[in-house]
Order: sequence, then C-alpha cells, then structure tokens
Amino acid sequence: MPDAVAEKVIATLASVKRIPAEKITVDSNLREMGIDSLDVFTLLFELENAFKISIPDDDVRSIQTVNDIVEGIKKILAAAPPDASVGSASPAD
Amino acid sequence: MAARRVAITGLGIVSPLGLNIADTWNALREGRSAIGPLQSVDGSRVGLKIQNAAQVHGFDPLQHFQGGKDAQLDRFAQFSVVAARQALADSGIELTPHLREQCAIVCGSAVGGQAAIEAGFEDLWVNGRGRVHPLTIAKTMANAGASHISMDLGLSGPTYTVSTACSSANHAMGQAFRLVRDGQAELAVTGGAEAMFTVGMLKAWEAMRVISPDTCRPFSKDRRGMILGEGGAMMILEPFDAARARGAKIYAEICGLGMTSDAHHLTQPSVEGPARAMRGALREAGLAPEAVGYINAHGTGTIGNDPVESRAIREVFGAHADKLGVSSTKSMHGHALGAAGALEAIATVLALHQGILPPTANYLGRDPECDLDYIPNHARAQRVEAALSNSFAFGGLNAVIAFRAANQ
Repeated sequence: MPDAVAEKVIATLASVKRIPAEKITVDSNLREMGIDSLDVFTLLFELENAFKISIPDDDVRSIQTVNDIVEGIKKILAAAPPDASVGSASPAD
Repeated sequence: MAARRVAITGLGIVSPLGLNIADTWNALREGRSAIGPLQSVDGSRVGLKIQNAAQVHGFDPLQHFQGGKDAQLDRFAQFSVVAARQALADSGIELTPHLREQCAIVCGSAVGGQAAIEAGFEDLWVNGRGRVHPLTIAKTMANAGASHISMDLGLSGPTYTVSTACSSANHAMGQAFRLVRDGQAELAVTGGAEAMFTVGMLKAWEAMRVISPDTCRPFSKDRRGMILGEGGAMMILEPFDAARARGAKIYAEICGLGMTSDAHHLTQPSVEGPARAMRGALREAGLAPEAVGYINAHGTGTIGNDPVESRAIREVFGAHADKLGVSSTKSMHGHALGAAGALEAIATVLALHQGILPPTANYLGRDPECDLDYIPNHARAQRVEAALSNSFAFGGLNAVIAFRAANQ
C-alpha cells in the first residue's frame, strides 16, 4: 500500500500523463511507461509546488522509477521543512 | 543566373568576449572564457538559482545612438545595429544607390526584444500601472534588429528575420548566402542577435534544468549543463568575383547550408537529424568530408547534446572524424541562442582566415561518450581548407553552414 508521498507522486504523474493512476505503481519504470525528460520536468515542477520543496537539478539525472522520485522527496522533506517561497501564489511572500 | 561563389568581406560583433572583432578574436584564441557571475539582473525576489552567465559588459548604448534613439531599440536590436555597422565598415564597400536596393538583410533571433515585453508586463502586473510603454510592440518584435539595420544603414533589399531558437542565426546566414549565390541580392548583411537576460527568461531556463551551476564544459567529463550568453554578430556577404574585382579583403567563402528537422522530440537531440544536416552542407558546398579540418560544434555542454553530436560527427566523417579539430566556443561566449550561430560563424571564419583553431575552454578531461579531438583549452595553429559550424535547436531544427578558406 503506497504511503501519502507515493500516492501524491502517482496521482500527479497520472495527471501529467493523462493516464489512470491505477496503471502506475512505485515500481513503475518511467522510460518503460514512455515518460521522457519533458514529462519528468513537468512532473517535478508540479511536485515541487505540491510539497513546497525544491528538487536540485543534480538529483534529477538518476531518476528511473516512481520510487526514486518518492524516496528523493522524502529525503528532501526530512532534511528541511517546506520552502514557503516555492509554489506559493505570490513569490514575494 | 548560374550559382555564384559567395565571399565574406566584413565582420562585426558585440560579444561577451569583446565589443569588436579584435578583442573577441584575441579572447577566442587565448581560450579565455567570459563566463562569470550574473550581473544586472536581480532575481532575489523570485529565488533565481542561475548564478553564472556570459554577459556583454561595457556596452554603452549612448555611444552608438543619439537623440534618445537608444530608447527606441531593445538591447538585442542595439547589438544588431552596432555589429552591422562594424561589419559594413570592415568590408570597405562603397554603397551605390543600386547596391543599397540590392542589399539583403537576414537576421536570426530566438526571442527578440525580451526586456521590452517583460518591462511592460512588470508595469501591468507588478507595478499596478494601467498602461505600458508605447514602443513595447516595436521593441519586442523579433524583426526589430533587421528593421533597424535597414533604416540605420539605408539598405532596402529583401529584409527579414528567422526565428528557429538556437539555430536562428545559422538558418538566417544560410538564407542570405543563397540569396547572393542565386543572384537575388548583390550584397547581404546577415547574422544574429540576442539579449535575453531578464528575470522571466532566466526563470524559464532554470525550470528546464539544463543550466550549469558553475561553468560550461562542452564534451568534458563532469560537465553540468549550458551557460546562457548574449550578443550580436553580423557578416557582409557579396559575390566572390565582385569582392575580388574591388580588391576587398576576403575572410572566407560561405559555400553550403544543410537544414533538417529531427521529427523526433522537443528537446532531446537525435543523431540522424544533425548528421543529415552536416551531409547537406557538405553536398551543397561540393566538399568531400576529408576536406574539412575544423568543426565549430553546437557543443552546449549539456549531458544530452554532446555525446549525440559527437556520434553524429562520427557518422558523417567516418575515419576522418579522428583527424578533425572540433571545438565548442560556447565554453567562452556562452550560449547566445538566436545569436549563437553568428558568434560561432565569426569564430569559424577567423579560424580559416588566421589559421588558428579556437579551443574548447574549461575542459577537464575525457568523457568516454565524447571521443573526438575537442582542442582542449588551448588554441591550435593549423591551416584548414574547410570548416563546418553546427547549430541544433530545441524543436529538433538543425542548420549547418560550410565555409571554405578564401585562398582555395
């Protein structure tokens, strides 16, 4: 059973790719699902907004599965509280 | 009319490496990089992460435009005009009324007057003003550079702008070459200009995750992405015979254009599209692959481009690929988008003219996937017969130009 972070990642990926969430698991391989770099960048953009975090460029290159994204986000969330400047309606806040 | 040979007889440039040809060439042959801390853009309010860039420093519009004219031109159009003036003066050509009417202007720019439109939006949505500057449209339009060259220099032949992202200038110079070659113009001013250092543009590039956090290291191990640049560069083209007849200095011959589309992916490069573009340029130029001694590569320094471009070069040149000098001067002047091909054409033409191949700066060592001779860090004294200059754009649009040394 996926946890809350995984559920959010899967739901966001489903929305980005316009596919049913049921077709995605944490073990899904992005390339095998036909998800390319543009999809990944769009997905990460949405996730940065959703979790109010900033995902470093260098972390992106090693992503292969949905779980890689889930684990990466958990690590960022554990290391620092949500960044209020990311994803808020007013960047000046 | 039979196809004519086309000579390059004038060069002009405003670049991060210098405000004229001499300073820029000195930096290129010394392998000096203009990449440094981003200045003049305050992105702190929106958490801008991009810290480094190749910017034009010391350019004072008031030195070039009088009577308030400077405010009518966005920075990219200012670069266009100043580079064109330099190129025309360098050519030494005497403009008759006939030549003025027969002079084409073909320019490349990816985003045109970005600063003007962004200032307008800031007025509306940040400053709460109910109106924007009346010249916002005229400063923003991508053809403003070409139009201002036309008005400034009194040149009234076919004039237009090509916008194909990072290939814009190569597409433009290729069109100008063909206009002169085919007798549709007797003279041409051609090149590209870009000035996109605005907060909005930088944030958009940041979101693409292709910008290096330190510097630009094309084809090198430990490369981390591209570095944005700006500038303008223009060349004067004329029929080879006419140039020789008037005793003009001929820098090189522009002799081929190859254009293809990948039909593949918005941002991921392919091997096949660039390879076909290089073959097309060689074919139009009537050059055997073995005649080419230097390639000014697209070489963005991204993880994606450099191995793919290296493979494409191998595919076209076969065993001769190991005898080529291949460098990316983006390591020094950054990636100036729609002006990139024009800055790199200047580097390529001067390499042929001076017998010095500019290096790939910031090179740290070999990447197993990039296995050509990239002229690492130091220029090489070497006369070559012919050269290619590659530009490959987002959207999969490729344009390659072939040049031949003038003494051939």
